[in-house]
Amino acid sequence: MIKIENVSKAFNGEQILSNINITYERGKTNLIIGASGSGKSVLTKCTVGLIKPDSGKVFFDDREFTSLNTQERQEVRTEIGMLFQGNALFDSLTIEQNVMFPLQMHSSMNAEEMKERVDFCLKRVQLEGVNHKYPAEISGGMQKRVALARAIAMKPKYLFCDEPNSGLDPQTSIVIDQLISEITKENDMTTIIVTHDMNSVMEIGEKVIFIHKGKKWWEGDSETILTTDNQELSDFVFASSVMKRLARSSK
Amino acid sequence: MNLLSHMGQFSILMARTFKKPEKMKIFYRQLMFEIDSLGIGSLGIIAIISFFMGAVITIQTASNIDSALIPAYTVGFTVRQSMILEFAPTIIALILAGKVGSNIASEIGTMRVSEQIDALEIMGINSASYLILPKITAAMLINPFLVIISMFIGMAGGYLVSWGTGMIPTSEYIYGLEYDFKVFSVYYAVIKTIFFAFIITAVPSYYGYFTKGGSLAVGAASTKAVVASSIIILIINYILTQLLLV
Ligand SMILES: Nc1ncnc2c1ncn2[C@@H]1O[C@H](COP(=O)(O)OP(=O)(O)OP(=O)(O)O)[C@@H](O)[C@H]1O
Ligand SMILES: [Mg+2]
Repeated sequence: MIKIENVSKAFNGEQILSNINITYERGKTNLIIGASGSGKSVLTKCTVGLIKPDSGKVFFDDREFTSLNTQERQEVRTEIGMLFQGNALFDSLTIEQNVMFPLQMHSSMNAEEMKERVDFCLKRVQLEGVNHKYPAEISGGMQKRVALARAIAMKPKYLFCDEPNSGLDPQTSIVIDQLISEITKENDMTTIIVTHDMNSVMEIGEKVIFIHKGKKWWEGDSETILTTDNQELSDFVFASSVMKRLARSSK
Repeated sequence: MNLLSHMGQFSILMARTFKKPEKMKIFYRQLMFEIDSLGIGSLGIIAIISFFMGAVITIQTASNIDSALIPAYTVGFTVRQSMILEFAPTIIALILAGKVGSNIASEIGTMRVSEQIDALEIMGINSASYLILPKITAAMLINPFLVIISMFIGMAGGYLVSWGTGMIPTSEYIYGLEYDFKVFSVYYAVIKTIFFAFIITAVPSYYGYFTKGGSLAVGAASTKAVVASSIIILIINYILTQLLLV
């Protein structure tokens, strides 16, 4: 469980987030949706402390993350896996070394066990035979999947995915959504997914949070989203004609 | 940003950098890599520059001596003194500030703007220590050797010129090299070099680490890093010379 209390953030006088309160539930896939530039990535980074919020608190289960010192934060972070919007793969390391990296830094596994875990993670994101390539040598969608493999390598308690399926074809996209949803259940993780993809919302949106104008505008799930009477949310959701049709048929 | 806040932020970064590495094995692996890339990778340029510097000092000194009162061995003596006292430690440091400094600033700057540093932090890794400590340690270990090599190559350059041109007898040149030699001058050069090695690696790391923006900002950080480390080297050079020689 991750709890965000009254988090606000401004950049150069421009209010990006104002008084956000959210509880992400454990064992569930928590989705954040919102227009481009609405502050989804900033919110995620404030949650994990990569950006310091101007005010507010963040709790990882019973630990108040915002009040911890550097050392204690580092410890909490070994339980976090994060997929960045821009992948953030280490470009001096091969795919295999990238996924192995957190294991080398924190686990007590021997070389063989690490190799096994890496192969397992890469297989789960449907990547095989790229172990010895460098990030620059594979496609954007493949990089995304490597980044996901790296994020889950340590079996994190908390998983953050910033747009895990942007740049993926619809088929792979579904596979990735399913994978994230599965490992969330298997390991009873608290998973946060930032997305634009209404397909993901319908498939795995157990809890859906809509960010608009720097505020938490709406909260619900993939069922209630179709029948929402919130104007801004329905503008966002039903911009897609597929969604319009889906809503009509569900009524 | 003003000087004071730069210094404050730099000190905070260094305090984070000089922490015991989380995994010694990985630290050694990186250290070896940096020794190879920062040290061995600079040998070529250092050899070329030192050789020609020794050669040029020889020609200039020899051609300026027209009084019979000044002995010919002065040439060898001058080459030795200039190579050891100033050229090898300071000029080599300035050249490395350009070569190694821009390299470090752009490498770390790129990692910053592509969120690779954030990725390290999220894994619970002290990114400052992980990225910067091996570079500083490597330079402080390897640069003294580079500088001593530079001294020898410079003196060899002078020897070759005096042999090739016949401007002065090589025996006089050798005599000059040995004349009134004090080992302390080599210690002095090594002490300066260790300070400079820190500046060459720590200052560009600082500029890279706090890069904000995109690839343009990385370029700007790299330029600023080279300028700043060169100026700091010159100032520290002045202070150390005052402290050690006077
Ligand atoms: N480091 C920063 N400095 C200044 N402004 C920033 C910074 N990071 C983000 N912003 C601003 O915050 C706003 C929200 O950005 P954010 O990246 O969170 O959007 P987003 O919702 O993730 O959009 P997208 O869906 O396109 O990824 C943007 O207007 C952006 O300009
Ligand atoms: Mg974003």
